Amino acid sequence: MTSFFFAYLCVKEVPMINSVRNTILAILNKNNYGYISPSDFNLFAKQAQLDIFDDYFYQYNQLINKENARLSGTGYADVAKGYEEVIDMFSVTKTLTQNLLNQYFLPSQNTTSDDYYLINRVLCFTGGLYQGEAEKVSNSKITLLNTSNLTAPSLIYPAYSLQGSFITIFPAQFNGATDIQAQYIRYPKAPNWTYINVANGEPAFNQSSADFQDFELSPDDETSLVFKILQYAGMSIREIQAAQFGAEQEVMEEQKEN
Amino acid sequence: MAYLSEYQYYDNAGAAPSNANWGSYQYVSLTDIVNNFMLMYSGNHSLVNNEERYKVLFHTKRGIQELNYDAFKEVKALELKVFDNLVFTLPSDYVNWVRVSLYKDGYLRPLTENIQVNSAASYLQSATGTLSFNTDGTVQTTSSTLDTERVSGAQRSIYLNKNNGDNNSAVINADNPDGWRDYNIGARYGLNTETANFNPTFRINKKAGVINFDSTMANEQCVLEYISDGMESGNDSLVSVNKMFEEYLYAYVKYEILNNKFGVQEYIINRARKDKSSLLRNAKIRISDIHPGRLLMSLRGQNKWLK
Repeated sequence: MTSFFFAYLCVKEVPMINSVRNTILAILNKNNYGYISPSDFNLFAKQAQLDIFDDYFYQYNQLINKENARLSGTGYADVAKGYEEVIDMFSVTKTLTQNLLNQYFLPSQNTTSDDYYLINRVLCFTGGLYQGEAEKVSNSKITLLNTSNLTAPSLIYPAYSLQGSFITIFPAQFNGATDIQAQYIRYPKAPNWTYINVANGEPAFNQSSADFQDFELSPDDETSLVFKILQYAGMSIREIQAAQFGAEQEVMEEQKEN
Repeated sequence: MAYLSEYQYYDNAGAAPSNANWGSYQYVSLTDIVNNFMLMYSGNHSLVNNEERYKVLFHTKRGIQELNYDAFKEVKALELKVFDNLVFTLPSDYVNWVRVSLYKDGYLRPLTENIQVNSAASYLQSATGTLSFNTDGTVQTTSSTLDTERVSGAQRSIYLNKNNGDNNSAVINADNPDGWRDYNIGARYGLNTETANFNPTFRINKKAGVINFDSTMANEQCVLEYISDGMESGNDSLVSVNKMFEEYLYAYVKYEILNNKFGVQEYIINRARKDKSSLLRNAKIRISDIHPGRLLMSLRGQNKWLK
């Protein structure tokens, strides 16, 4: 167990962001003109990470369809499970900030200190006692639902509708400051390759900086990150071959996975 | 819901009322059914997918309502005294009646529903028959003679009870030598069996939500046996269903969802329909309470001589 923990620490000691940046620079650095600045790299890295993160959900959906068509296996062949685990890495459960009575703010940088990609569950409490999971109901249906005898939201079966930056919980008995919790998938934090300037102006990687942020994606996405950033960087320095190389490699990677 | 310990079952874990959990093991709650359905019959790899929970809840409740109407044998009973107004207000969870009885002198006497109307609305009429209207355009109403006389006891009954006119007014004299025939004595050839009942009669006014009795029911104890829809006045936490019907309810909800969904193949709907029907049949047989002991009691009379 100790050795495993040590190994884990070692892995975390080498941030993926530096490895990706070094690879990008190595590919681009033809005749010493393929350099991209740290700020440019951070911009491209953020875009690439969001692309891949967003793609997790589409990939997961495709894999479910494959499973239903009996084109996927179990055990080590259960690729969908891998995607589930990666997505769950971004899962958080936090209490939502109350706006007014039964209205609560959606997760955001201001309220829960992270933006949400999707709300998975909304859990309702009264007096600290769990009552039920609220179901999202579209705005076109919520009035009908509330006026239906059989399906009107109750303490056991609450419902919520979403408007702007807040949700409204029904029934209105859920109106305490800590009555509503949400389990949601947050966006990955924006990567930030931090550095210190050395004597000749060459930036040196500084992992100890307070605003340092590594990629939050799974290590096996490092290749995809390189290919995606390469496309942005290639376009940036007008090196079309680099951009094409990145795009081709990405397509090959996807074909291999599918 | 977790299983109860014996302490929780018998004594409600010391809380009041202590009998709250008695017999609860026969039932499965609405919450359990909806949860189990969402968990086991709905999802990425199931026939039912991308359906809102409120639809499952709706169909489950509808299924429970339907079962309450005929398959369950859960008849509720309410005893109330009928006062001089001769009205018995229907219970708040009333859907249909099973039997109305008079409890008197230690006997429960089943009452007969009056085949004649015994209550009516009436409009206020002038001497010439014209109607009067309120400012909002509605017609002015008044108590009908039918109601007034029924309540006062002046109304006669075609039934053989105390209100039967023949019991009280028949006079035997030279003008009416056969008046004795009107008494309820001796052999009454041509007796109308439909009205041959001595007990008070009633009639249910469904829209008004009351049972109207004849005047012989005044100040008597009435027991109403009725069925409800099992919705427990909207308290979802109290709604439950007998475990014999649990599997049927899952099949019912599945069928209802698939049947109302666009693009589901007909053979899948048919499979779900057959599944639901056969499970209902099985559940009805299981709950029919055909016990050998009861059959034996009935069959013991098979050699009895008919007089």
